[in-house]
Amino acid sequence: MAMLTFERKYRTRGGTLLGGDLFDFWIGPFYVGFFGVTTIFFALLGTALCVYGAAMGEGLAGQTWNLWQISIAPPPLEYGLGLAPMMEGGLWQAITVCAIGAFVSWALRQAEIARKLGMGYHVPVAFGVAILAYVTLVVVRPLLLGAWGHGFPYGIISHLDWVSNVGYQYLHFHYNPAHMIAVSFFFTTTFALGLHGSLILSVTNPPKGESIKTSEHENTYFRDTIGYSIGAIGIHRLGLFLALNAGIWSAICIVISGPFWTRGWPEWWAWWLNLPIWS
Amino acid sequence: MKKQLLILSAAGALLAIQACELPPVETSQLGFRGVGMEHVANPSTLQDSMESVAARIPQLAGSPDTDMVPAPAGTWENVQYLGHLSEAEFNRTMLAMTAWVAQETGQGCNYCHVIEDDGTVNFVSDDIYTKVVSRDMIRMTQDLNANYPEHVGETGVNCWTCHMGEVLPNNYWFYAADGERDLERYYVNEGARQTERYLLDQEAIRVISDQALTGDTENTSSIQDTEYAYWVMIQMSKDLGVNCTYCHTTARFSDWDESPPQRVTALRGVGMVRHANAEYMLPLQGEWPDNRLGPMGDGPKIQCATCHNGAFQPQYGAEASHATEWPAFQILGPPHDGAGTGGDDGSDDDEGEGN
Repeated sequence: MAMLTFERKYRTRGGTLLGGDLFDFWIGPFYVGFFGVTTIFFALLGTALCVYGAAMGEGLAGQTWNLWQISIAPPPLEYGLGLAPMMEGGLWQAITVCAIGAFVSWALRQAEIARKLGMGYHVPVAFGVAILAYVTLVVVRPLLLGAWGHGFPYGIISHLDWVSNVGYQYLHFHYNPAHMIAVSFFFTTTFALGLHGSLILSVTNPPKGESIKTSEHENTYFRDTIGYSIGAIGIHRLGLFLALNAGIWSAICIVISGPFWTRGWPEWWAWWLNLPIWS
Repeated sequence: MKKQLLILSAAGALLAIQACELPPVETSQLGFRGVGMEHVANPSTLQDSMESVAARIPQLAGSPDTDMVPAPAGTWENVQYLGHLSEAEFNRTMLAMTAWVAQETGQGCNYCHVIEDDGTVNFVSDDIYTKVVSRDMIRMTQDLNANYPEHVGETGVNCWTCHMGEVLPNNYWFYAADGERDLERYYVNEGARQTERYLLDQEAIRVISDQALTGDTENTSSIQDTEYAYWVMIQMSKDLGVNCTYCHTTARFSDWDESPPQRVTALRGVGMVRHANAEYMLPLQGEWPDNRLGPMGDGPKIQCATCHNGAFQPQYGAEASHATEWPAFQILGPPHDGAGTGGDDGSDDDEGEGN
């Protein structure tokens, strides 16, 4: 495979987080690294445990190879924050350890690559926000509620059942203020990406006979349509801001549901009705 | 500008924090592990309401007459539903009822019984409306305990369960006054219309289709019907202090196979409230004085919250709310053979649970 011009810089040894040069090499175009190996280890082990759980039929649906119904469920609440037997949520606990191990390893591998390239850490930091959202769901909130059983089950349909049931525990989740903010950020993220993506596709795919357009065209287009262009770097900063906030507020909206609010979310808004201005 | 923003966001954060509760919370599992079938409650908020209930438990002397022999004929006159009691148990029950219901009035026996000019109490007379209402309520309590064990359980209920020492229990309701919009009088606004449809008209709330994409012909529920269903369910949730998953699997709300058993208890409760309104509350219409009537001139009616008061079990299952110690309310009591009464019995439900 031909090397791109920047790859020569990328393939610099050293700059590892742990020091030393263990696994500090490339297989084809892929950097391995110590954390690449731990990623593979945790990902393979976790997946194997999922398949094992499916074979044993430990979830609600019983033994099934129907991809929609396979589920690895967390322990019953009675086990609290302790370890559960393998077929009663212990598998879920092991898989959760594997998942966090794989995600964090991947973030650290990204950090090592960033060091080799001499660039900032914004890629691992951004991925770290996604990890934070996951860890909030399966570690932080269960810790605050006092049982691992509050985590969500690993299954396509079963995790949707969890979302539905947990939502209805607070009567109407759309009244959760942090959920409102998170949803707004998610929609705004896709909206901004839609605007940006269509702009880039337009300027890079001119009609036959015309040359590719430059940033002057990009800026002019948005100045004409909405009166403002945030610019080529600005749109990526905005995109990062919107996307990270979507993840952060998602984590907030679920961690406050239960630990910091047990009633219906519509009821939380009583503070508005009770403002001394009109009450 | 920056400083103002900082102050504003700090104030906002403070507001958000003070509007929240703090851990730890209590949770219980209601279904298969891991699918979020749970009940979540904060003990610190719960503690307050439980303590306020405990503070209202009356101190009553005496214990039930265990080897009870019904009072001999002619002991009383005009006693229609408590004929199975001994004289001691009868007196104990009457004293308890005074504490359960009329405590706050300070009137004692006189709250229901006429005091003659010479100072003696006329226990026979039905001249005070509260006596007529009390008799009807005694019958209702006996009926609920005898015929709705699926809802009131082994323990049953007594007067205190709903009255809690007050003449009027909480959360009774009236017909909605036309055009009335008053948030303070929660149960008197248009919500009462929905309550009326459910508890008096006994209208079903089945609005969910049992299959996807049914089109207009299969499911004729209107948006008003769904709002009605939503109202009734949210009302019940509020009345019992529980969330949707207490009775339902939320992916399939209407599916009985997947519902927690509490849903059956609740359904029996709905039947019980409908029965109590139809057989006991509505027939009292002619008895109420004006100050007990609602804006449309109707007497009070009951709903889930009248007994539950926002708790999953009325008064959090306090023993004082049970009928276990009160033989008076455990069966549909027979009339006392009061020799010489022309007692207008008028009882139409003498099916007499054999006991």
